Amino acid sequence: MIGQIFILSSKGDRLIYKDFRGGAGSDDVGSFYEKVTALTGDQPPVVMTHKDLNFIHVRQGGLYWVATTTHDSSPFTVVEFLNRLTALVKDYCGSLSEKLVQMNFALIYELLDEVLDYGYVQTTSSDVLKNFIQTEAVSSRPFSLFDLSNVGLFGADTQQSKVAPSSAAARPIQSSREQGGKSEIFVDVIERMSVVIGSNGVVMKADVEGEIKVKCYMSSCSEMRIGLNEEFSIGKSQLRGYGAAVRVDECSFHEAVRLDEFDSQRVLRLCPSPGEQTVMQYQLSNDLPSAPPFRLFPTVERDSGGRLLMYMKLRCDLPPKTAAINVCATVPVPKGSVR
Amino acid sequence: MTDSKYFTTTKKGEIFELKAELNSDKKEKKKEAVKKVIASMTVGKDVSALFPDVVNCMQTDNLELKKLVYLYLMNYAKSQPDMAIMAVNTFVKDCEDPNPLIRALAVRTMGCIRVDKITEYLCEPLRKCLKDEDPYVRKTAAVCVAKLHDINAQLVEDQGFLDTLKDLISDSNPMVVANAVAALSEIAESHPNSNLLDLNPQTINKLLTALNECTEWGQIFILDCLANYTPRDDRESQSICERVTPRLSHANSAVVLSAVKVLMKFMEMLPKDLDYYGTLLKKLAPPLVTLLSAEPELQYVALRNINLIVQRRPEILKHEMKVFFVKYNDPIYVKLEKLDIMIRLASQANIAQVLAELKEYATEVDVDFVRKAVRAIGRCAIKVEQSAERCVSTLLDLIQTKVNYVVQEAIVVIKDIFRKYPNKYESVIATLCENLDSLDEPEARAAMIWIVGEYAERIDNADELLESFLEGFHDESTQVQLQLLTAIVKLFLKKPTETQELVQQVLSLATQDSDNPDLRDRGYIYWRLLSTDPVAAKEVVLAEKPLISEETDLIEPTLLEELICHIGTLASVYHKPPSAFVEGSRGVQHKRITGSVGSGESESPDTGSAAGASEAPPAVIPSQGDLLGDLLNLDLTPPATTGPPPPTSGMQMGAMDLLGGGLDSLLGGDLGGSSAMGAGFGAPTPAAMPASFNAPVSGGLDDLFDLGGGVGIPTGVNSAPKTVWLPAMKAKGLEITGTFARRAGIIQMEMTLNNKAMSIMTDFAIQFNRNSFGLAPAGPLQILTPLGPNQSIEVALPLSTVGPVMKMEPLNNLQVAVKNNIDVFYFSCQYPINMLFVEDGKMERQVFLATWKDIPNDNESQFQIKDCHLNSDAASNKLQGSNIFTIAKRTVEGQDMLYQSMKLSNGIWVLAELRVQAGNPNYTVSLKCRAPEVSQCVFQTYEAALKN
Repeated sequence: MIGQIFILSSKGDRLIYKDFRGGAGSDDVGSFYEKVTALTGDQPPVVMTHKDLNFIHVRQGGLYWVATTTHDSSPFTVVEFLNRLTALVKDYCGSLSEKLVQMNFALIYELLDEVLDYGYVQTTSSDVLKNFIQTEAVSSRPFSLFDLSNVGLFGADTQQSKVAPSSAAARPIQSSREQGGKSEIFVDVIERMSVVIGSNGVVMKADVEGEIKVKCYMSSCSEMRIGLNEEFSIGKSQLRGYGAAVRVDECSFHEAVRLDEFDSQRVLRLCPSPGEQTVMQYQLSNDLPSAPPFRLFPTVERDSGGRLLMYMKLRCDLPPKTAAINVCATVPVPKGSVR
Repeated sequence: MTDSKYFTTTKKGEIFELKAELNSDKKEKKKEAVKKVIASMTVGKDVSALFPDVVNCMQTDNLELKKLVYLYLMNYAKSQPDMAIMAVNTFVKDCEDPNPLIRALAVRTMGCIRVDKITEYLCEPLRKCLKDEDPYVRKTAAVCVAKLHDINAQLVEDQGFLDTLKDLISDSNPMVVANAVAALSEIAESHPNSNLLDLNPQTINKLLTALNECTEWGQIFILDCLANYTPRDDRESQSICERVTPRLSHANSAVVLSAVKVLMKFMEMLPKDLDYYGTLLKKLAPPLVTLLSAEPELQYVALRNINLIVQRRPEILKHEMKVFFVKYNDPIYVKLEKLDIMIRLASQANIAQVLAELKEYATEVDVDFVRKAVRAIGRCAIKVEQSAERCVSTLLDLIQTKVNYVVQEAIVVIKDIFRKYPNKYESVIATLCENLDSLDEPEARAAMIWIVGEYAERIDNADELLESFLEGFHDESTQVQLQLLTAIVKLFLKKPTETQELVQQVLSLATQDSDNPDLRDRGYIYWRLLSTDPVAAKEVVLAEKPLISEETDLIEPTLLEELICHIGTLASVYHKPPSAFVEGSRGVQHKRITGSVGSGESESPDTGSAAGASEAPPAVIPSQGDLLGDLLNLDLTPPATTGPPPPTSGMQMGAMDLLGGGLDSLLGGDLGGSSAMGAGFGAPTPAAMPASFNAPVSGGLDDLFDLGGGVGIPTGVNSAPKTVWLPAMKAKGLEITGTFARRAGIIQMEMTLNNKAMSIMTDFAIQFNRNSFGLAPAGPLQILTPLGPNQSIEVALPLSTVGPVMKMEPLNNLQVAVKNNIDVFYFSCQYPINMLFVEDGKMERQVFLATWKDIPNDNESQFQIKDCHLNSDAASNKLQGSNIFTIAKRTVEGQDMLYQSMKLSNGIWVLAELRVQAGNPNYTVSLKCRAPEVSQCVFQTYEAALKN
């Protein structure tokens, strides 16, 4: 049972505050912010307690999404709910940011009213919610600096003109109504690849987390079929085709996906509800079927002054038509090091 | 135009402006105004003054505006109860609206307005809504009952809402069922004894059916409710498990965990040999593993729960070690939890894998994590005995890296390994000593010092090493100071000759130059101990320490039992019982849950224990380090038993008490103590112990003994049954029972030696401390064959009375040292003084009379012997058996007066007058003796002899 929900900006300003069960203390928000900012690195931030109150929070879009409870309720429920709430707000407002939350506070209050009653989660399905929500979302101007930072999750802006512009998916799901019901659906395949490369340039660990996301702007959608490569295989046991060309270790599907044809033809069938949903998630670790798309050539030299010089050359082996986004290389160094 | 501008209004007269806007005719303007009001409300501004104006906007057919107004009402109705009444009519009207959205909205909002007056008006609409045709309205109304109950429980009961709510459990719409279950569960919490949620097989069946159709959130309510049910038999429990199991593959982790909770609980009911039990165990692992690929927040919560599950049922995840391996981009708090679980899962089968992984972690860059990884290697060594050697060599490899914090951490854990496997890996000490200089953290320094002190006899330059630490004694942290003090005392006790100076130096540093009370106390205790009785000191300081075990970091079983019932709740994340962080009123409910668990567990004998434990404060599990520290403290070592003679031990106790109380008052006394210590040091060295074992009492105690000693020759007296003098647990398995007897004029100490240890005992020898009558063994202890385990032997040791004399307290106390191949043990016993009454103790009559007169009356003492039913002749005969001789008998007025004499082995005569009156069971004894100290003992002999 959730007592209060509040959304704070990274500076601790209240953006949304709702007390569901009455009897909330006067400065719970303040004491939460004090606690969360006082945490040291190795203290787990997820669940915190202050007097009789327990705070559970997640951080998304640079905001604190906090739920409080005085009961011994399930942190899984609360964390899971908060994650859904952020997804809903993202669906309804287009994306997540302090500004957007501020602009759409009336809408978010309305959402909160429907998803929680007396602290009990009622529903988080956008299919159900579309019947209740009245307020129209207010979105920021289509091309702002903000959008650039969020480039390309849906319809990444690449050279291929077939692909929709970057802002296409960063808009509220409801606004489709007033735009004359332009029915659109976006399917994205997002792969997050983490590679640990030793100082000699050899790949030590590699894993890929991938997901297929669908963002649907149709208020009611008939069945949709997504076909995967027929050689797609799961685990090492069931290899298909000639090689292990398309292989994942594990995969899981959204509960709405019907898998009747998956085993025989690798087809996913679903009726997407409005908003964003992760249709499929998969992981692959260690032996990748092919070389990683990047190669790193590090050289480490020790100079006479006791300094260590590191040169790193990153080479991208992707075909010229494709681009990777959000590439970052982290070089772990001891705390005391200075540049 | 965006709404964000509402947050920036800070102009004066804002309220006034808003008021005007709220009363505007234009709908759009009104809506904008209400939005502004709510924006102000959110940031914490007080806009309650606008209450009437906002309420005026309530009557509208615009749903969006209505919702905004209701939002405002919920927030401010409580502070303006009178005004809130104004809104009631609209609410009641809205509850009849043809639009189900508006009906539900009204009933939902009314429940949130926590004003008593409103609740009265709420009842009728609520009753209608509970029977509404639209499920959306019904499910809202169900929750509203719980809201109303919180405000006015009596009203809810009187109006019969609870029955309606119970009916809703059978509703056709699963969402309504879920909300009804949630509401009933909450109401039942505040009525622990009511039978609100009457869980019987029928309702359970309904719930299980609804479970399949509900939304994910509704499934959670139902599963949590199921967890409170206690199945009647294992068949029912299995069928529930079967129907819950499909939930394990749900995408919502909260559903999964609630299902795990139900299964973990009902599994207790299933017979372990059932096939299904094994199947179920296998099914629990994959969902738990899946949780580890969720967001870090969920991962953390999941790991905390897995930690509990692994402690309770390690078999579930024993093959899943790999998923707990740390990923480089995990947040640190996830990494640490994973490490913990890795250690709990470590077993002989997977230890190689784990160690390789841990070694990898120990070379990472994050210092905190590296430290924890090194600690983890140590914990593996302690947990998996077969791996200890490998762990030690891994640690040595890490020490070779010379990375400062790795070396230090490694030394700390090696100390723990020594505590677990003493005398096994001491070969590494040399390597450790090489790194002595690089240690700069207190914990590592303390650990190193402990190792040096503990193994001082094997480290040639232990004194030099410790001395090097002593130089900067006052700059060290308390932990190191205390450890250094103990280590040097240990060293002294092991190598007394070379280290006297060192020990004196550290004692004076600790007691005189330090202002830390802990350090001073410990210093004084050592000082006293060493000065009064180095033998006892050795026993205390070098006592065998209990082995540490991995259990030190496990959660205490009763708490674990309770936490398992709370899987998937906050309790399982904090690892504390809910009573520790949930407000008091909930304690009742929580007890009920544990109670039902107890009864659900048919084989557990004490169902009460779990419930009992739940009320105890949260158990603090000492971490290994703490425990170790405590064990090293003197407090926990078993008290030295009978070593020092009683007067000394009395003084010693006093000193300790004083140390505990007011320390400063003792500072003066200490100077005396130090001179005594000097004396003590000179003579007895612990190594030469048996020979000089009576020496410690010599210092300054001479004035205590007098009693001038004559020597006599003894005869024959009956003996008392044997009593235990030395219990086996105090003497490493040697138990001694014994008694004294006087046979044919020879005093004998008759003992039974019983070997309760596992090893053979040989080389027995015995020695007495000086005592009041100069008792000493007349020959060596006649035990020629080795004493095997569980064997016992009877020996009779003839005693002479020509040994050194010292007055004891009580007079007949005898302190004995027995040595065998294992150790030297001390005990004390008391001998009946009639052992010393010699056979020629019959005095001439005239001499008796003269002597009686001669002894001053001050020396006469009188005792009463009660409840003795012998006549005077029988008494006389009995006493004669103890060498108490009757010289004359007189009868005066029906009272027999017996005049008696006895002579002690040292020539002291005791004269007695025993008055026996016929019919009176109380005798009176008057004793006269030149040494009146013995009277008490003699009286005891009388009493024993006459009542025997």
